[in-house]
Amino acid sequence: MAVPIPLFATPVHPSRRDFLRGAGSGAGLLALAALLDSQGALGATAAEGEADRAIHPLSPRPGPFPAKARSVIWLFMNGGQSQVDTWDYKPELIKRDGRELPGFDKNTGFFTDQVGPLMKSPFRFSQQGESGTWVSEIFPELARRVDDLALIHSCYTETNNHSPALFEINTGQSRMGFPCLGAWVTYGLGSESQNLPGFVVMYDTLGRGLPKGHASNWGSGFLPGVYQGTALNAQGAPIDDLTRPEILSDRRQRAELDLLARRNRRHFAERADEASLAARIESFELAYRMQMAAPEAIDIRRETASTQKLYGIDDPKCGHFAKQCLIARRLVERGVRFVQIYSGGMENERSWDGHQDIVKNHGGFAMETDRPIAALLTDLKSRGLLDSTLVVCNGEFGRLPIVQKGGTGRDHNPHAFTAWLAGGGVKAGARYGQTDEFGHKAVVDRVGVNDFHATILRLLGLDHQKLTYRFNGRDYRLTDVGGRVVEEIIA
Amino acid sequence: MKNLFFVCGIALFFSAEAYAEDEGAAFFEAKVRPILVERCFSCHSAGAKKPRGGLLLDSKEGWEKGGDSGPAIVPGKPEESLLAQAIRYDRDELRMPPKGKLAEKEIAVLNDWIKRGAPDPRRSAAVVKPTKRTIDVESARSHWAFRPLRATEQPKVDSDWPKSPVDPYILARLQGKKLKPNPPADRRVLLRRLSFDLIGLPPSPEETDAFVADRSPDAVEKAVDRLLADPGYGERWARHWLDLARFAESHGYEHDYDRPTAYPYRDFVARAFNSDLPFDLFVKWQLAGDELAPDDNLALAATGFLAAGVHSTQITANQVEKERYDELDDIVQTVGTSMLGLTIGCARCHDHKYDPIPTADYYRLLSCFTTTVRGEIDLIPDRAGYAKALAKYEREHAPYVEALAKFDRDSLASRLSAWENARASARSAKPKWVVLEPIKSESKAGAAFQTLEDGSIRASGKNADFDTYTIAVACELSTVTAVKVEALSDPGLVRKGPGRADNGNFDLTDLSLSVGPRYGIGATWKPSLINPKATFEQSGLPIAAVLDSDIKTGWAIDPQFGRDHAAVFELAEDARTDSGAILTFRLDFQGNLRHNIGRLRFSATSSPRPVGLVDDGVPVEIARLLEIAAENRTSEQKNRILDWYRTIDPERRALRRACDEHARTAPKPDGIKALVCSEGIQPLRLHTQGADFFEKTYFLLRGDPNRKNGEATPSFLQVLMNSPEKEKHWRIDPPAGSRLSFRRASLANWITDVDQGAGALLARVIVNRLWQHHFGRGLVATPSDFGFQADPPTHPELLDRLATELIRNGWKLKPIQRMMVLSATYRESSIDDPDKSRIDPDDRLLWRHRRVRLEAEPIRDALLSVSGKLDRRMYGPGTLDEHQTRRSLYFTIKRSKLIPFLTRFDAPDALQGLAERSSTTVAPQALWLMNDPIVREWSESFARRIEPREGRTLEWSVREAYRLAFAREPSAEESADDLAFLKRQAESYRQDGEGDGSRRALTDFCQSILCSNEFVTID
Repeated sequence: MAVPIPLFATPVHPSRRDFLRGAGSGAGLLALAALLDSQGALGATAAEGEADRAIHPLSPRPGPFPAKARSVIWLFMNGGQSQVDTWDYKPELIKRDGRELPGFDKNTGFFTDQVGPLMKSPFRFSQQGESGTWVSEIFPELARRVDDLALIHSCYTETNNHSPALFEINTGQSRMGFPCLGAWVTYGLGSESQNLPGFVVMYDTLGRGLPKGHASNWGSGFLPGVYQGTALNAQGAPIDDLTRPEILSDRRQRAELDLLARRNRRHFAERADEASLAARIESFELAYRMQMAAPEAIDIRRETASTQKLYGIDDPKCGHFAKQCLIARRLVERGVRFVQIYSGGMENERSWDGHQDIVKNHGGFAMETDRPIAALLTDLKSRGLLDSTLVVCNGEFGRLPIVQKGGTGRDHNPHAFTAWLAGGGVKAGARYGQTDEFGHKAVVDRVGVNDFHATILRLLGLDHQKLTYRFNGRDYRLTDVGGRVVEEIIA
Repeated sequence: MKNLFFVCGIALFFSAEAYAEDEGAAFFEAKVRPILVERCFSCHSAGAKKPRGGLLLDSKEGWEKGGDSGPAIVPGKPEESLLAQAIRYDRDELRMPPKGKLAEKEIAVLNDWIKRGAPDPRRSAAVVKPTKRTIDVESARSHWAFRPLRATEQPKVDSDWPKSPVDPYILARLQGKKLKPNPPADRRVLLRRLSFDLIGLPPSPEETDAFVADRSPDAVEKAVDRLLADPGYGERWARHWLDLARFAESHGYEHDYDRPTAYPYRDFVARAFNSDLPFDLFVKWQLAGDELAPDDNLALAATGFLAAGVHSTQITANQVEKERYDELDDIVQTVGTSMLGLTIGCARCHDHKYDPIPTADYYRLLSCFTTTVRGEIDLIPDRAGYAKALAKYEREHAPYVEALAKFDRDSLASRLSAWENARASARSAKPKWVVLEPIKSESKAGAAFQTLEDGSIRASGKNADFDTYTIAVACELSTVTAVKVEALSDPGLVRKGPGRADNGNFDLTDLSLSVGPRYGIGATWKPSLINPKATFEQSGLPIAAVLDSDIKTGWAIDPQFGRDHAAVFELAEDARTDSGAILTFRLDFQGNLRHNIGRLRFSATSSPRPVGLVDDGVPVEIARLLEIAAENRTSEQKNRILDWYRTIDPERRALRRACDEHARTAPKPDGIKALVCSEGIQPLRLHTQGADFFEKTYFLLRGDPNRKNGEATPSFLQVLMNSPEKEKHWRIDPPAGSRLSFRRASLANWITDVDQGAGALLARVIVNRLWQHHFGRGLVATPSDFGFQADPPTHPELLDRLATELIRNGWKLKPIQRMMVLSATYRESSIDDPDKSRIDPDDRLLWRHRRVRLEAEPIRDALLSVSGKLDRRMYGPGTLDEHQTRRSLYFTIKRSKLIPFLTRFDAPDALQGLAERSSTTVAPQALWLMNDPIVREWSESFARRIEPREGRTLEWSVREAYRLAFAREPSAEESADDLAFLKRQAESYRQDGEGDGSRRALTDFCQSILCSNEFVTID
């Protein structure tokens, strides 16, 4: 089909709407408009930006600040990683092992009748890298990458139960139904890839379930549904409806889509003012391309043997998580904006929720994740992608420094946990915030969930106070009325 | 102008100035100031009644100078700052605030602030006097949405264009801008528009033909009336309301348990629309149907509105109260947005930022729902008939009950004593059993055993699928004639056991015994066990089976769980064991999975054969009581015995049976269960570690349940109360003895009161929603926000006129909709006109009809309709099955498992009420239409429907497809293009040997029709 190329006499900066209005007809024009836009040929005012977002919800657009990171990979240690057994070394805990934690409020955790005394970490810690960061022995591979990480030791949440805490860390609200970080980011920045979903989620493939609260954790709340996370199916085809009916064949599907495009263009010719109709014409072309692009993007067999080995694809202990980390790298490489991977399934021993036995639980989940995560950092760096990819790792809350009676595990602790960030704009080797001597509560430079989100948005070039969406008469923000950017960990 | 309604003091929390450029100041404003204001100012500010300690914290100078003890803050050094020490309660003599320590979070904020150098933008006490922004309710009443309805003269226009009272209002504004309305839409376009708008389905080709052919002046009226009377109207319009009502059929949160009884609310909404239930009643019933019309099933089901929101199902002890406030917040917020177009929820933590809704109003409104809980009730179709039948039955049943009472009164005691005498004489002949002490217990599969004081053994730990217990016991009897194996109940077992299976059962498949010497040397031998007897045998699983040679058959006790059981086995020959013996029992559990015994005991006897069971069915507890001489029993003990004996006395059992049999003739309510909200009903309990509701609602500071500030009694929004008596004016007192408080009824009374309450706003909001769905955009562009932030209506007089008409028509919606869709305005074509566009690019003045894309449900319903698969059965439980062919309204809405197709096309997630759906266009929608097996199936069905037959040609097929899908005929160009495709595609299939190429090609063509932009676009 011949696309009429319009002449840009005036105005100098035609808006996309004018462009379409003037152009009259033709599928593919939108792709052209997007191309011109990315080259700066089409200027857009703020209002037009909004109008544009309505037509092209996923077209890439910059934030107000220079972006440090372009994509995010959020490694979510589901169930709540224990800070004192991983990243927050507490010698005082060793000294006071077996003694009461003075002034402890028994309602802090989930099991209020199973409150035991302080328990030292069963794991050895050592200082690693030039930064001298203390690392638990359960992370032998990550220990070699600590100089890439910025650790925030003083994170805390407002709630002590999985699903409200998961909602809070994902959406900023402990109640159900608000847009998550990934949705806000995709809303704010669109996606660099038009052939793949802008926001992809992967969860446990070993049948241990979804994180509590399920898809609401990657939902778009009141934002348009296009910004919600696309969860790759754990079994079967990773994305629904990606495979064309066998009988149709590529050739015949193409013929059918060509027929459709001709009919749609005739329809559009009489309604050229309606940009959404042109967008819909284009969406079938995108869908057609996605059929090829998406399977290609998640096909890790295309990676070299050494890359696969680096991640531990064939290692039965960590292969499942390694695959997801490698897919994540392939996705951000192809322009996907936001990837979230959940380590572990629903709760208790199926995730990092080590109520019974920290050695077995955290030891096991560290074994599943240590090598793949370290490999992801190595791989991103060697490909020059780490500078533009923000890697974040944390859970929904921390764990108590005391033992949960009846076992050797730890109960939930909303008052403190450690998160680390690496890559895109992060000050490598930084450490921020402190917990008290037992690692029970964040006390110095506390970082709430709003602050955590504000920082991630800033690294992506977004302003958490200005990224708003009007719903039911109110301008909503991811950070509600709070949020402080933790500048100290930004390079 | 908006701000005119505020008397602005200093905006404390949220003003734009608050986020000053300086980040320290921003931190101060966002975090520090609210704490100082709320926790310190009552004693340490210029405005305090009695300033304490000479310290003022309402200005920077205040803390720099400090109070009697010196400067309060050393910037950057919390450890040296008096204020930091005081709030940490470090020093006994200086603890602030004295009435209770600040929350950890607040202490951390202040500490952090001091550490940052205590940035404080406040300059002098005079400026920052803690005057909260005050809301001037009186002047806010003049806001356009809050004013009484104004009946204005219909604009005079010199034109024959108007067809309905709506039109002069529109035309006057258009003429004011020198705009001409678009010419009317083509009749086919108009009917398709009407059909989708009113019933959510496309017109059939026959309907289109008839309408086009009908040249009578009232052709449009007839079509509109037909559609308004179609039951599909309720199904279409219910969906709009359900969006607002955040309706779903699961609880949400971690478990997202189903609410299988939630659908009657959905049906109520559809039925209400279909029967044109007056809207004021529609609203009243949703708030208080249980109070206002307790005998009306629809009214009861209507309260499902309040119950529809998400609710956490796992609430930890320290979250119970917060979650309850969240639950009520969901209700008040939804009432506010859906009914009043007000964002009341914004006043939870602070006075509403824009609208005249003080926090006090919020909590007083919340208080109307204080004792309201979710529960399930029976909706009984024939309430009166049922009551009558029940009364008759109860009369007939009374003699049976009386007979039982008479027996208990007159005969029970004497029959008990006769039974006791008989038992005593029987017992004297019973064998003497000796409990054998366990020496060694082993489980092949790894269960753990523990010996208890009564000589029994309790199994714990691993409960394997199959197991074998080997238990050795010491026996001091010189002769053993029989052994007894007891399976005992135990509170630690599932359903008290005695088995370890999920239901408390066991399945003992084999038993063998070997006897060896207790001390010294001697032979071990295996006596034969014979004549087994048991206290109870499950049907098909008799005790004899443990002695047969089949390892899979055994003895079990279902349904007599939680009781003690025993089995007795005689030894075929006496075991003589002069110096004591070791008896080793081997018990096999090889039948049912995990059916191992949980607690066992072994006994032996020397009594002569035949040896009977000691257990005569008397439970241990009763047997113990019976050992007390009758005259020494306390009355409590006597009653305990009588209560038990009653259940075994044969005469009484006969009476009981007769009574029960008659009870089976009781009339059934024959209703369906419905999830409702009410008071004094059994609350729906989940995993809450605490109360379902609290008796009182309090004013909370910043929304924090730990910071209560007095009780909030029920009231309504001040700005919409135009009565000097305030809330008392609408109060309805409950009838004496009612379980209901009638607080919600009072609220319903206020919200529908046009003259002095919220009724005018209620009417404005709903007519605007009708307008929104018919014209693609409301006269007020923010349909759920009529507050100060909303754009004022484009046609304020028309809005008030429609609201007035609604009320005058007894709040019936259909006449108003009729007025709208019969207007010349509605009939305008949607064609763009660049000249008009330049003047009014957003079509705010309605010079053309707004083109829209269909929403998710009508897209799917139209696909089904066109492919001839739509099942029009109405109402009843929904389903999650994507292959179902009823209308999309009948999908079950499970929050964690939303129907993927619906969400892909922007259906809401039902977490908060939604007034306007977004309309996105993304590739996954196209993928669904291209590749989903369901769409292929429907395309095939569509193809079968239009297959050439009876000598017809493919041209006819193409034409029929257009008529079904687009309500028009194809042009010559279109027809040629489609036919060429059909030919090529069929040829392609044939070349690949794919059988009937024509049928397949026709399917592909039909699919392309269903994918077309025209199919999902309403001009």
